[in-house]
Amino acid sequence: MDIDKLIQTISGNIPRKQTPIYRIIASFIIRDFKIWWTYKFWLLLDIVGIVIFILTYYLFSFITTSQQVQEAGYTVGGYFTFALIGISFQHYVHFAVQTINESIRDEQWNGTLETILSSATDFKVFLLGEVCFSFIASSILLLMSILIGMMLGAQFYATLSSILTVAILTILLIASHMDIGILSTGVIMKVKQGSPVTWAFSWLSQLVSGVFYPLKLLPWYLEWLGKAFPLTYSLDGIRLCLQSAKDLASPEIISNIMYLTIFILVATPIALYVFKIGYDSARRDGSLGQY
Amino acid sequence: MKIEDIVELLREDKPRVSSELTHVWAIFWANFKIFLSYRTWVVMETISTVASIAMYSFMGLQVDARRMALAGYEGVNWLSFALVGVTTANYLWMCISRLSHSLQHEIREGTLEPIVSSLINMRSYIIGQSLRGFLVSGYFMTGVLLVGIYVLRASLAICLETILSFIVVILLMIASYMGIGIMAAGLILVYKKGDPLTFLFATVTEFLGGVLFPLKYLEGIPILHTLAWLMPYTYALDASRKILLTGATIVSTQVFMDIAILILYTVIFMPIGLKVFRWGLDRIRYEGTVASY
Repeated sequence: MDIDKLIQTISGNIPRKQTPIYRIIASFIIRDFKIWWTYKFWLLLDIVGIVIFILTYYLFSFITTSQQVQEAGYTVGGYFTFALIGISFQHYVHFAVQTINESIRDEQWNGTLETILSSATDFKVFLLGEVCFSFIASSILLLMSILIGMMLGAQFYATLSSILTVAILTILLIASHMDIGILSTGVIMKVKQGSPVTWAFSWLSQLVSGVFYPLKLLPWYLEWLGKAFPLTYSLDGIRLCLQSAKDLASPEIISNIMYLTIFILVATPIALYVFKIGYDSARRDGSLGQY
Repeated sequence: MKIEDIVELLREDKPRVSSELTHVWAIFWANFKIFLSYRTWVVMETISTVASIAMYSFMGLQVDARRMALAGYEGVNWLSFALVGVTTANYLWMCISRLSHSLQHEIREGTLEPIVSSLINMRSYIIGQSLRGFLVSGYFMTGVLLVGIYVLRASLAICLETILSFIVVILLMIASYMGIGIMAAGLILVYKKGDPLTFLFATVTEFLGGVLFPLKYLEGIPILHTLAWLMPYTYALDASRKILLTGATIVSTQVFMDIAILILYTVIFMPIGLKVFRWGLDRIRYEGTVASY
């Protein structure tokens, strides 16, 4: 090929076609699904891990009493249902907190982040695309956990209004935890290693948010600490709906929703600000693609 | 320094130390120094471990003592029951996965080839890495037990006899699983991956061994109950609980039976593990894939 012709071809100004956002997102979902599908053995291990985890708490429930769970206001299903809700909704917590920083870390690790960011794809669209498939996968795992639990005898109050309320609480759970994930990503982009924010948040919320026991069992100082975590309010609300048939008409649910909304309103600007600092700093240093 | 001096220095014929003990020590020390350099990781792991034990203590507040008694643990506090389970399971997992983790790391970093082609015997490598694993896991196990006993007031039968008996059981537990760990390492050498299998193995072992619930409640699922009693870990945990919860020792009849079974598993698995490892090592040497990943 004639070199001059080649240069001319490359120099040619081809107008870029604006791809609709939904098509970009669909491409991300398809890409992530293809990658996920190549790790079939890991997928199988994930499923086996979930089944074993639920079975462990099913057998553990044989030696527990439902007294504390009922005293906390969750009337149906006993300890197993209580623990099952905690275990199942952890999938969304993991999704919201980890997905963004894990995907950015993976792109950095594979050296593909810089390429993506120098393409025409907007960074916000890129982030949205990265989380979409994880959301679908987490939803499937959550439904699977609930289904396994029901097969083992977990009981729920499922009315239309209680399910709708659970959906609202779930959206708030994801939004509030997404803030932690965004904040943590900002830190990771700057320090280039596992974020202490995610780590501290993970073990503290497991300990004080009532995943495996009602909050009333904690000493007053840990119970007080637990009230600072959005997971506490999300799980309490979801359990009140699914174990006590409460809905949006209940003052307890409204109070949980109010708290979660305030948390999101306060945490979102902080998380976005920290993220911006990390992102701008990495761009300035030229280290965005490094891990 | 002049280039000629460096060349001269490299040419110098230094007598090589061929003592296996020196090699074991060198591998142990090199890896231990790497471990010490990850101070943040150690602190984070320590806090996470303490937090998980605290979590178990709150879970224990929901346990019905009568149901524990029905399963043969009359007068036993669930936290003490779980504490023994969690510490032994964590110790086993950390020890067994150590060798496969380190081999996978060497393969990924491209340092396995220099090790294999050096004078260091692979036996020394296995022993050195395992010693590092025992020590690090021992730190976490002791920490968990101390927090359980002194902070969370878990009642364990602690005296010289029970401590010594517990150490013997732990050593036998590790010996009985070492064959499997070495086997996994041998497979990793050839197939370059194996961590998923070790993970699966650890999850199943922890579940079937009855870390959080008495195995009596597994009787309702006969297949799982039979599988549970085919695993050496179940015997090790049973012996550990008899020692630390009821004050039995290795000379007590019920503990002695568990120990005999652990020895039997060691005798069966160890030669198989070593054979698989030798096969793996020979194969990657023959195929020239020592450095590939």
